[in-house]
Amino acid sequence: MNTQRMTLLAALVGLAAGCANEPRSRNTANPNLSGETLALQVCSNCHGPTGNSKSPNFPNLAGQQVAYLVAQLQGFKGQSRRDPAGYEYMWGLSHNLTDKQIQELAAHFAAENPERQQVEGKAERIEAGKGIFAAGIPDKGIPPCASCHGVNGLGNATFPRIAGQHVDYLVKQLSIFQRTNERPAATLMKTVAHNLTGNDIENVAAYLQAMPNL
Amino acid sequence: MRPIPIHFSDKMMRALLRAATSVAILVALWPSESTALPTFNRQTGQNCVACHAGGQYPELTPYGRLFKLTGYTLGERTLPFSGMAVASDSKVGNTSKSDDPKADFQKNNSLIFATGSVFAAGKITDNIGAFLQVTYDNYASQSDDGKFHGHSGADNMDIRYADRSVDASHDWIWGVSANNNPSISDVWNTASAWMQYVPVPSPTSSRFIDGTTPYPGLAAGGNIAGITGYFYWNQMLYVEAGGYRTAKGPASFMSAGVAEGDKTKLRGTNPYWRATLTHEWGPHNFMVGTTGMVADVFDDPLDTSDPNSVHHFRDVGVDGQYQYLLDPHAITVQAAYMRDHHRVPGFLAGQPVSDINGNDLPDTNATDNTNVFRAKGSYIWQAKYGTSLAFFNQTGTKDSALYDPTRVGGNISASPAVRGWTYEVFWTPIQYLRLGVQYTVYDKYNGASHNYDGFGRNASDNNSLFFYVWGAY
Repeated sequence: MNTQRMTLLAALVGLAAGCANEPRSRNTANPNLSGETLALQVCSNCHGPTGNSKSPNFPNLAGQQVAYLVAQLQGFKGQSRRDPAGYEYMWGLSHNLTDKQIQELAAHFAAENPERQQVEGKAERIEAGKGIFAAGIPDKGIPPCASCHGVNGLGNATFPRIAGQHVDYLVKQLSIFQRTNERPAATLMKTVAHNLTGNDIENVAAYLQAMPNL
Repeated sequence: MRPIPIHFSDKMMRALLRAATSVAILVALWPSESTALPTFNRQTGQNCVACHAGGQYPELTPYGRLFKLTGYTLGERTLPFSGMAVASDSKVGNTSKSDDPKADFQKNNSLIFATGSVFAAGKITDNIGAFLQVTYDNYASQSDDGKFHGHSGADNMDIRYADRSVDASHDWIWGVSANNNPSISDVWNTASAWMQYVPVPSPTSSRFIDGTTPYPGLAAGGNIAGITGYFYWNQMLYVEAGGYRTAKGPASFMSAGVAEGDKTKLRGTNPYWRATLTHEWGPHNFMVGTTGMVADVFDDPLDTSDPNSVHHFRDVGVDGQYQYLLDPHAITVQAAYMRDHHRVPGFLAGQPVSDINGNDLPDTNATDNTNVFRAKGSYIWQAKYGTSLAFFNQTGTKDSALYDPTRVGGNISASPAVRGWTYEVFWTPIQYLRLGVQYTVYDKYNGASHNYDGFGRNASDNNSLFFYVWGAY
């Protein structure tokens, strides 16, 4: 068989094989894909296959609350969550997700085990942040994070797990709550973060990232 | 089988580019944070920064590399067409040491519509995707009356099948690429086909800008046809290998529009290989790799009847890259080195050469070695403001075949040595428009710092300023 025919045959075989591959598809517009497939073939590129991301640009999703993940995916899909990371990375990928896929994606990452990642913050910041997490800053009217996110930072329903989250992601999100209306579903956090200084934000983020991995 | 050439008439190309430019201007003035962007953006709905480091296309992020390695298939099928246009202005430092400055430095210090491309790219099936580029050169040729004529032809082309098996314990990506340029299938920014990131306008005023300085490249170049297979294991080990032949028969579209005399004609199948090790930790990622190709290129593309009339090239390179990507910062450090061993056809070796005074020079070489090193560092803030610094150094065997006693382009030392630096600043006001200024400085050109052409022209006389506006939609 000459090279031309082999090339044509290879192309045809490839085309035939490529028409339907739902278990390993990356088609974000196919409503038949399972959340598991989307999580592994699409989301894993940034968040890792188990929701433990390497880059602090992308939040860890492992062990996150199902209700929180569902609310965020719906927020991206409906474009109500419009912080830069949201619209730059997530709007497009989420806009065709079905309710079933959103539920399955949330369930996938919620069921994954958070990995103990390397501590990112400095010891003095972690120590200072621990106080804010546990007791808040009463003089500034800032409540303790633990009151909504739990004493171990594991979250509850739409209050997200914050333990073990990347410092950079936490700092950026706290700044967004404080300075913008780009996350309208989190109005409570706008009030909470209002009086935090930049230093407070760095400290509490350092502590949250370094929290024990429960 | 009869070949099916793709042909865009120059008139059609100009109309397309006019339309693309109009759309780009319209979008540039549009106030919203639109997600409607060039074809891959439409397919994924994501911003340029997702795939391109600091928005500095075409340099890829780890995510962009996975997008490409999985065959451009992530996302949804959309209108698969995009356009790109470049306007530029080149200014050569010294245009006085020339017999005919108008010919040696055409369009010097003139803002021109330099070049444009149309792309058909994106997802075809769950496993097949493509990246096809056809480029229009507005200054491709010049008639006797001095008028320039544009021409369009096949540029980069990559059609691939890819699949991926991934779970918590393993990650295998594998695929096959049919492409027309060795290393165009590569995903690292130090690959021969990708390290050079700004198109080079063809007027001779642009002959000294960064895009024409030595790059660690593969001698076979583009407009050929090859198939490579690859795998990427656990985002750590990447291996690719394949072979290239002359683009003909069903693959002739890969050199469509290229004049027969300008095509690269290869003897037989010519092997290409690539291997890299990569590691990502936090916002950092690192790659070290090697690449190479052995190619037999016919001396005269119009006469391939004699199988011995080929240049035999053996290129072996090493390259590495470090990226720090954490919004709003994007830092990239790259280094690449390529050694080219070139055996010329027998009828070109051992030829007598005399200098301009009639004195005998050594006979021409049977083999030459050329070494090219390039390093580049760049920083981009907020995917808007960027700067870069690059160093290039080409050394190699002296060969009387290089002796050329002509003004500006000449070489009286018969050495291929070129060395210099390029500084760049650029601004990306919106993600599909970039304005940049480059300044390329030479301390050695065609083997010498001073009087390299034998008529008093120094390397520093070629220092060039290059301004460009690059838009894509």
